[in-house]
Amino acid sequence: MNRMPVDADVTYYGRPMIKPTVWGVDIPLYYYLGGAAGAAMTLGAAMQLASRDPIRRRELRKLSARCHWIGIIGSSIGGVFLIHDLGRPSRFLYMLRVFRPTSPMNMGAWILAFAAPGAISTGLFINRRGLLGALGEVSGYVSGLFGAALAGYTGVLVSNTVLPIWQQSRRWMPVLFVGSAATTAASILELFAEDEPARRVTEAFGTVGRLVEIAAAKKVEQLASAIPKVGEPFRQGAPGLLWKAASALTIASFVVSLLPSKSMKKRRLGGLLGAAGSLCLRFAVHYLGDASARDPKATIQLQSHELPERVS
Amino acid sequence: MASTLSAGEATALEVRAGRDDTVNRSSRKGFFTDTTICIGCKACEVACKQWNQLPDDGFVFTGMSYDNTGALGASTWRHVAFIERPVALSTQDGGAFSWLFSSDVCKHCARAGCLESCPTGAIVRTEFDSVFVQPDICNGCGYCVMNCPFGVIDRRESDGRAWKCTLCYDRLKEDMEPACAKACPTDSIKFGDLEVLRETARARVERLHENGMHEAYLYGADAADQPGTEGLNAFFLLVDKPEAYNLPPRPVVPTKLVKETWTSFAFAALGLVTVAIGSVFAARR
Repeated sequence: MNRMPVDADVTYYGRPMIKPTVWGVDIPLYYYLGGAAGAAMTLGAAMQLASRDPIRRRELRKLSARCHWIGIIGSSIGGVFLIHDLGRPSRFLYMLRVFRPTSPMNMGAWILAFAAPGAISTGLFINRRGLLGALGEVSGYVSGLFGAALAGYTGVLVSNTVLPIWQQSRRWMPVLFVGSAATTAASILELFAEDEPARRVTEAFGTVGRLVEIAAAKKVEQLASAIPKVGEPFRQGAPGLLWKAASALTIASFVVSLLPSKSMKKRRLGGLLGAAGSLCLRFAVHYLGDASARDPKATIQLQSHELPERVS
Repeated sequence: MASTLSAGEATALEVRAGRDDTVNRSSRKGFFTDTTICIGCKACEVACKQWNQLPDDGFVFTGMSYDNTGALGASTWRHVAFIERPVALSTQDGGAFSWLFSSDVCKHCARAGCLESCPTGAIVRTEFDSVFVQPDICNGCGYCVMNCPFGVIDRRESDGRAWKCTLCYDRLKEDMEPACAKACPTDSIKFGDLEVLRETARARVERLHENGMHEAYLYGADAADQPGTEGLNAFFLLVDKPEAYNLPPRPVVPTKLVKETWTSFAFAALGLVTVAIGSVFAARR
């Protein structure tokens, strides 16, 4: 057995010890769109729950429809990005030939396989009468639940890897992804004019989303930075800048959303800032992971911190 | 032989092949790479490329010692590392310098990150206990690439699929040893039954220690040695820190750490549902 102390100063000509992702821009875009769709589906289902009351149904009808649309568009276009990134796109459906809980990618494929058709069926049928209407109702709740999973599983997807930043911050990554998804969905909704009751729904959802995104981002950075070389990409280079931009934009959108004014301009500004912040965040997470994979010292230091008893 | 088989003949062949597999399943095969007798000739790299008909991966000059291969990848399944150190081995006379060679390969881990993360089931464990990527199933998602603690598997851009060492599955089927082991002129790469290889390796370490090479040790020989992977079916005898050979000091299969991530996923998703319901009902008049 190797009993020599781990030494991060010893590397093989400074070459990476592990491989960075083979993923292009498709995947962060998929996180973004899939996240927005998932959070919107969940919000849509929550409104469906309230819509048993006919007055509430009338109040929330427009907002519900918008949520359904974001669900449909986000999950389908997101799915297109996901498929486009495959080395063999025609084999996308091979993802569904097994059910494998050890693979978050496989779990995600199943989640998407329920969420996306669920969103479409909700949008098509929810306001119909009879059997189709009932199908729409059921689809609404199903896509609401799978939507929540869709918004969060990508956090597990990145953390279930050997990329040092992603692995080290694995406890907060799903929270960050869900928070960011809620922010994105609320931000898109804020670009449209709403009546008072619906406005308040979006506002509450967006405020919590932004707070969670800001707090979870802080935690992710803290966890990674506990190991000096793992946290390094947060403080240097383009990924670090992107991360800072994301955080600045999200905080700005949070501040704007708190302003007392009820003007449409303010609402739109908050929405634009929030949507941009979340987009930057998804790309930042992606490139930060790659940067930490390229540094062999990050991998070595990560493993010298990983206590053996944690390995069950 | 007739150019076409009847349905009955084809079935009989398949049944026989199936029975052969069951017979083979009794033995776990692997590599023991003894780096102390590697001479850095790269015959293993050439034999592997040739047998598996692997495309080139660029004709680059790295400038690092004699290593212009660089790393394992989609089209490089054996890679000889050249380590130049300003330290003498304990058995060595002369100046403070030593040159170490090590032929790296897929470790065919007992708990394989690539296999566990593969969403299509393209990556399987064979009857030889090796880890094999089925090219007719792989859809090139690239997730295995980020789940290998050793940076072995990669996606071939020209082809879109993930590739790595097959432990010469086709040769094993014919009772032949893998091409690299066959070509190795010093028997630094030993192929055989895993249990036998482990015994050989332990005896070799003891022998080296007796001869005064106290730095010799086994890397990944079994689960006790490397709990993060539960042991490697292709393990190594090294004389410096794993990091010096670009091997991770304490590799862990990501799946072993991910339980808490799924827990926070559950809380986060539940939280989203709660916040959604909360925002709708709190906004009541």
